[in-house]
Amino acid sequence: MTHLKAYSMIRKPFLLMTTALALTLVLGATTAIAHTPLCSCYDNGDGTVLCEGGFSDGSSAAGVGIRVLDADENVVLEGEMNEYSEFEFDKPDGDYKVVFDAGPGHGVEIAGSDIVE
Amino acid sequence: MKPTALLSAAAALTLASTAQAHFQLLYTPEVMLEKPGDIDLALVFGHPMENSHSMDMGQPEAFFVVFKGEKTDLTDSLEAVDWQGPGDEPADAYTATYKIRRNGDYLFGLVPVPYMEGAEDVYIQQITKTIVNKGAMPTGWNEPLGLPTEIVPMNKPYQVFAGSTFTGQLLSEGEPAAGVECEIEYINSEIDLEADSFSKEILGPVPSTAIVAITDDNGLFTFGIPRPGVWGFACLGSGPDKEYEGKELSQDAVLWINATALE
Repeated sequence: MTHLKAYSMIRKPFLLMTTALALTLVLGATTAIAHTPLCSCYDNGDGTVLCEGGFSDGSSAAGVGIRVLDADENVVLEGEMNEYSEFEFDKPDGDYKVVFDAGPGHGVEIAGSDIVE
Repeated sequence: MKPTALLSAAAALTLASTAQAHFQLLYTPEVMLEKPGDIDLALVFGHPMENSHSMDMGQPEAFFVVFKGEKTDLTDSLEAVDWQGPGDEPADAYTATYKIRRNGDYLFGLVPVPYMEGAEDVYIQQITKTIVNKGAMPTGWNEPLGLPTEIVPMNKPYQVFAGSTFTGQLLSEGEPAAGVECEIEYINSEIDLEADSFSKEILGPVPSTAIVAITDDNGLFTFGIPRPGVWGFACLGSGPDKEYEGKELSQDAVLWINATALE
């Protein structure tokens, strides 16, 4: 992934920018920053959840990491987006959240309560 | 009568007929969706900028959506309705509901049956496109649908800003169509999808003559969007079919875009 590669070369001033970018992402999940990570999840209604990811320029999220955390922030599931930029998992009991992790400043968090049929 | 008065009188007569263009509507209120849900669509043949009478539509030849290259026929979802214009008799129109779930671009296409325009003694067939996005993920809004004639957007059609420009490329049988006149209008009324009607009141001014752009050698046209709203482009007679049931046919390409204020 080019994003991850770019991050590994990041110097200090960029770190600040990255933090700013992360803040912006948290504050406005759908704002139009070039290469914004995008992720949506759907409750399939059969005890499973489907997430699909991508980037705002239309590029694929295949191989991007995705984690499912419980209410105590413990990782209950970890995987990566498949070749169709999708990830399907069994819906955990209780509160949970999904973290689509395309590198620092390129993450999307979705609360389980926002994942509906 | 003073010459200027004569001029104005002549102008008024001419203007009355030119500012009124036919537009096939393929309307849905929200074109940028964040969450899955059902969207309502209205298929009405009218004069949206003047907000004058609507024409009767026949059963469409084709109505479909293309999502990530996959085409789904939607003709079975069409419901015939009486569409109420600002004052006159209701017109035959159609509505439909479509469930949008996954992220990406949904390209809706409509091929109406040709309409006999008695005043001009020609048939008009406006092949129409409207593009809806879910989840901000672009997946091909600028891909042609392979229609006989169509306008391919060169700017994201669901997110145009008032004061910016919009560029489209007119295709006829997949090739750029040069030197074609495209009429430009905006929907100048509130659309009530519960009551299947246009509001009586208009929302903004009606220019004194038709707004027009001519396509260049590459079939491209550009228009500066002066105000927020739903804007339509109708390129006239660009389709390959020139005759229908022994009469002249104007096979047109229509595209709708949504412009908002960048505030």
